[in-house]
Amino acid sequence: MKISMAALLLGCLLTATLAQVSSPQNQDVAVVVNPKNPVSNLSGSELRRIFAGEKRIWAGGVSIKIITRAPGSYEHVVLLRLLRMNEKEYKQYWIAQVFHGEAQAGPITLFSNGMQKEAIMVFPGAIALVDLIDVKPGMKVLKVDGHSPGEPGYPAALNGNSH
Amino acid sequence: MFRNRVGTRIQRTGLAVLLVSSSIWAQNASSSNQEIITQLAEQIKQLQLQDRELQARIKTLEDSQLKAPPLTEPDSAAPAALPVSAEQPGPPPTFDWHDLHGIQWRGFGEVNYQVLDQRSPELGTDGFVPGSAGNFYTGDFDLFLSAKLDDKTSVLAEIAFGELDHQTFNVDLERFLLQYEFSDYLKMSFGRYHTGIGYFNTAFRSAKFLLTTADRPLIMQFADEGGLLPTQAVGVSITGLVPSGRLGLNYLFEYGSSDTLRPDINGSGNIDDENNGNHINVGLFVRPEVLPGLQIGGSFYHDRISDSTMPSSVRIGQTIINAHVVYVAHGFEILNEGFLIRHALGNGVAFNTPAFYSQFSKRFGNIRPFFRYQYVNTNQKSTIFDDISLRYGPSFGGRYEFTESIAFKAQLDHTVRKNQPDLNGLQMQVAFAF
Repeated sequence: MKISMAALLLGCLLTATLAQVSSPQNQDVAVVVNPKNPVSNLSGSELRRIFAGEKRIWAGGVSIKIITRAPGSYEHVVLLRLLRMNEKEYKQYWIAQVFHGEAQAGPITLFSNGMQKEAIMVFPGAIALVDLIDVKPGMKVLKVDGHSPGEPGYPAALNGNSH
Repeated sequence: MFRNRVGTRIQRTGLAVLLVSSSIWAQNASSSNQEIITQLAEQIKQLQLQDRELQARIKTLEDSQLKAPPLTEPDSAAPAALPVSAEQPGPPPTFDWHDLHGIQWRGFGEVNYQVLDQRSPELGTDGFVPGSAGNFYTGDFDLFLSAKLDDKTSVLAEIAFGELDHQTFNVDLERFLLQYEFSDYLKMSFGRYHTGIGYFNTAFRSAKFLLTTADRPLIMQFADEGGLLPTQAVGVSITGLVPSGRLGLNYLFEYGSSDTLRPDINGSGNIDDENNGNHINVGLFVRPEVLPGLQIGGSFYHDRISDSTMPSSVRIGQTIINAHVVYVAHGFEILNEGFLIRHALGNGVAFNTPAFYSQFSKRFGNIRPFFRYQYVNTNQKSTIFDDISLRYGPSFGGRYEFTESIAFKAQLDHTVRKNQPDLNGLQMQVAFAF
């Protein structure tokens, strides 16, 4: 009996540890750009306007390149929350943006944060949302409204579980 | 990568311990329970130590990653030209991203069914022929293509195949623009554009798929379909932000010529050639940050036109003033636009045409019911819009979205016409984008 209880206890302990280590679903999402980009802070509304394709050029003249994760990912959920759209509205929004001539194509949609990192490195004006736990060297994390991800005051819209 | 390896190690270790514990559990009952518990306790201690060590290493790595990018620049979204950094970890891979090269194609189409109870046929639009025995027509089939010449320069074109009588088709170059975006404050377009008179014309363009309703309000109808406004022009269009903080003030400036041909909508068969001179159109609108989706603005348009009933030497001053309040967010679509079209003959005589439309809709899942009310009142003494007179009335219906690219619309219209019988109509439409 004692043995079985000890084994059970051990199993629970390890399961909890593994869950804590591997679950990305409780993290803030970081706003990342190319390391060469001197921007270090964006306001919440600037961030929304960037991902809505309304603000398309960094003030220095470099075109903004929006990188997004594919539907179903944690980052995509956060993106929709930021834009206050559902998936259908998001797709129709970009159809309209392209047709208006406001964008040549929709955002580049990638299937992993590793691919996002590659894209961030390739495009000087790139910006992406990346789960904080997946932030890698080669990504520059921006503050939003003066707060870094994980800090109190970081916008709730950038945490998919906050609502 | 390192994080994955750590996670894998922990998982493997955990699995091993579970297996060990299971095997121990299944061992000979003669073994001393105390001895097994001691072994397990030691293993747990070792695992805990290992786990703590790994967690600490993870934290150290994460902290170093967060601190790695030097946030030394001022806190603003206004970078100077991006400087070269020595921190770039190696040469980036070269990608042939699909959106940087080649021509992007899009298309919009529609299939319509329409019935009207009018006794004397008026002008049909989009291939619908009032008074004919048939009720189906295709409307416009739009091909939209765009190409990026460099990071800031692009070309777009919109080619519409419109249905005429007897299921024949014409080709119309709706838009053809060379666009250059210097910054968010200065965007220039050269070529054939949709004039920025008010909100509707540039928000919905010519694709019915983008409309909630099955058709455009009469005041916003394209001029070659009997609409009152010069909806298209060739020239230069400049737009951009005005530094205004959270107010979100934008400007619009257009200089070009419309050269509008407008058929009378009363079925007379007359076509007015306005022979427009160069126009100037300026607009201002705000999109306040405090309420995303709200747009309030107005525009002022002026040119000189001819009237086919007068000698060509007589030029009429045409001024179009617009004001609009629009809210599109959270599933709501609330559009309100008012117009005043003024034709001044130069001898002190002027004719004013007021017009407005209001449209309300709200999305409920895949269904979006809508209601629209429109009003146009032209002066019958004016020979320019004498075919319209007073028209007003409601439209209501619903839009059902099969997917994000296919929509079905049903719409009932009731139009009151001065000195003519009221007009009732049913429109059904399948509109799609591809």
